[in-house]
Amino acid sequence: MNYKYINNMLSEMDKDLSSKGMTRRDAMKLAGISGASFMMGGSNLSAMEKDEKPIAKSGVDAKIVIVGGGLAGMSTAARLTLNIKNPDITVIEPNKQSVSYQPGQTLVAAGIWDADEIIYNRDDFVPEGTKIIEDKVIDFDPMNNQVTTAKGQVIDYDYLVVATGLQLDFERLEGLEHAGRAYSIGDNSRLHKAMGDDSGICSIYTAEGATKTWEQMQKYIEKAKNAKDGKKVQFLFTHPGTPIKCGGAPKKIMYLANARLKEAGARENAELIFYPNGGAMFGIPEYHDAILEQFKRENFKWHYRTNLIGVEIENKIAIFDSQWQEKGPYDPVMKDFEVISKHEKIRVPYDFLHITPDAVAPREVAESDIGSAAGWVPVNKETLQHIKFKNVFALGDIAQVPMGKTGGSVRKQYKVVVDNLISQMEGKPLTSKYGGYTVCPLITDIGTVMLAEFDWSVKPTPSFPLDPLVERWVHWLMKVYALKPMTMYGMLSGKA
Amino acid sequence: MQVKFEFAIYDEALDKFELDEKIYSYELNEEETETYSILKSVDLHLYNFFQESESFKSWIKDEVYPNMIGGKIAICDINEISFRRYYFFKVTSADVHYEYFKKLFKIHHEIDWQGREEVGKEILEQLKIKRQELIIELKKDIVENEA
Repeated sequence: MNYKYINNMLSEMDKDLSSKGMTRRDAMKLAGISGASFMMGGSNLSAMEKDEKPIAKSGVDAKIVIVGGGLAGMSTAARLTLNIKNPDITVIEPNKQSVSYQPGQTLVAAGIWDADEIIYNRDDFVPEGTKIIEDKVIDFDPMNNQVTTAKGQVIDYDYLVVATGLQLDFERLEGLEHAGRAYSIGDNSRLHKAMGDDSGICSIYTAEGATKTWEQMQKYIEKAKNAKDGKKVQFLFTHPGTPIKCGGAPKKIMYLANARLKEAGARENAELIFYPNGGAMFGIPEYHDAILEQFKRENFKWHYRTNLIGVEIENKIAIFDSQWQEKGPYDPVMKDFEVISKHEKIRVPYDFLHITPDAVAPREVAESDIGSAAGWVPVNKETLQHIKFKNVFALGDIAQVPMGKTGGSVRKQYKVVVDNLISQMEGKPLTSKYGGYTVCPLITDIGTVMLAEFDWSVKPTPSFPLDPLVERWVHWLMKVYALKPMTMYGMLSGKA
Repeated sequence: MQVKFEFAIYDEALDKFELDEKIYSYELNEEETETYSILKSVDLHLYNFFQESESFKSWIKDEVYPNMIGGKIAICDINEISFRRYYFFKVTSADVHYEYFKKLFKIHHEIDWQGREEVGKEILEQLKIKRQELIIELKKDIVENEA
């Protein structure tokens, strides 16, 4: 770790805090009390205390099936157990292990954490009385309230919660057709075989891939360190055209590679280039502007509207679809010029290529009656109830909710699902609403994080009395030390 | 005060608008003039004001389209404040219209990473609903029998 840099940061932070009448101790105290909770969903101390009060349990009696035993599914099971007198809950999940804290994959990929720090055994967090079926759902039949598993078991339900997560579509890329689709965890051997062990291609989006990213990063940092011919080592980072888990992650790994290059004294021999499919750094203008300034400061390059469509692994060439717009003919009705979209394939040599894959709904969801045309489960974005089947709810990555694919969103969503599911069972109106809150702790260096919090208002919604556009050490400490226990012992217990 | 209006005629069968290229002048009374000056910077509020004004609707039925009772129209321009994009938006429409609708329909964040065609499709979906709200139906006046 670059201690000199952190010391500088500390001194800068002290100056910043003192201008607001706070000491570092005050800030840390605030962070320690409410920080971990607000980062996972903007709650505060009083809300946490409220959670501690005895809960009036509902006497509803029905069979609830939860498909997916990741963070969203297990937190929902835990909270239902706390809120129903005699819960009948079944979770269907094929994997014995889960990634408790997926944002930690960027930290693993930069050598800050070890892989085993983000993985937990599913069975250690099963709420009392909850049944686990170790199988994968391959068919949803909402007309008959049934799901079918890969082993052929047909399971009836009264109420269904869909929390399958999403799939990573690597096979869409030319040159990686054999990679198949991957989940964050599970058997991703096809993917890693297709990428090769030492090809310079990597992706933090699987747990194993995060470890491999760190191996590859070290190799190319070493290459930059020893570069003598003036030729810069090319580090490429992509961002696709689909919604993805944590929109900031493709940039986080870029910032961390930059930090490690600086630490090795090799930054001058490396070129870091970002290839986003879109035309902005972030959907919220305030954060876009801040990130752009950080890119300029760190001497990054970027090319908007470039979507990775293939790789030539042997030649180390990345193929992008580059899109741009040209002025078209005058439209006399609209009294303005039309815009013509154009595109072409471009070939870019790389040494190190970090791929952020397209995120898609698993086929068994997308092709069933519970999936929408886009594949995701269409729910009312506030109540999280299926728009067609009133006894079906969805949350987490699979729910068709804008800006909802982060752990911070799940922390808000699972409470809404539990409240509304119980109301639905009791025949009451659904009054609990998800407001679109999400959070992206954007790591900008080893030791600093810009905490991007926002909701459907498309404005920064900071939970902390500090400028949200400033990169801070205190947020780094929360990211690295506070969030994981918050997730594992707070959310998975159904309380936080 | 005189205000210039342009209209589009809605063809229900084809779900399509056709621009009426003529410009019509409407005389505002004192109260309407005051409201107009307050609302002229907030385009949709201004639209709603005229859409709900009985005297304005009577003027359209009596003087602008006297032979179109039962038909449907929409306001395209009010003194050069334009609503045309609501009826004639295409995926190839200029960026200014595109950005306007992205803001109006709160299409943001992850959607920003998608292509123009995809966002355009979403705008058109939402416009289908919004257009229906803007349409003014030229209903036949019902004369109550006082006998």
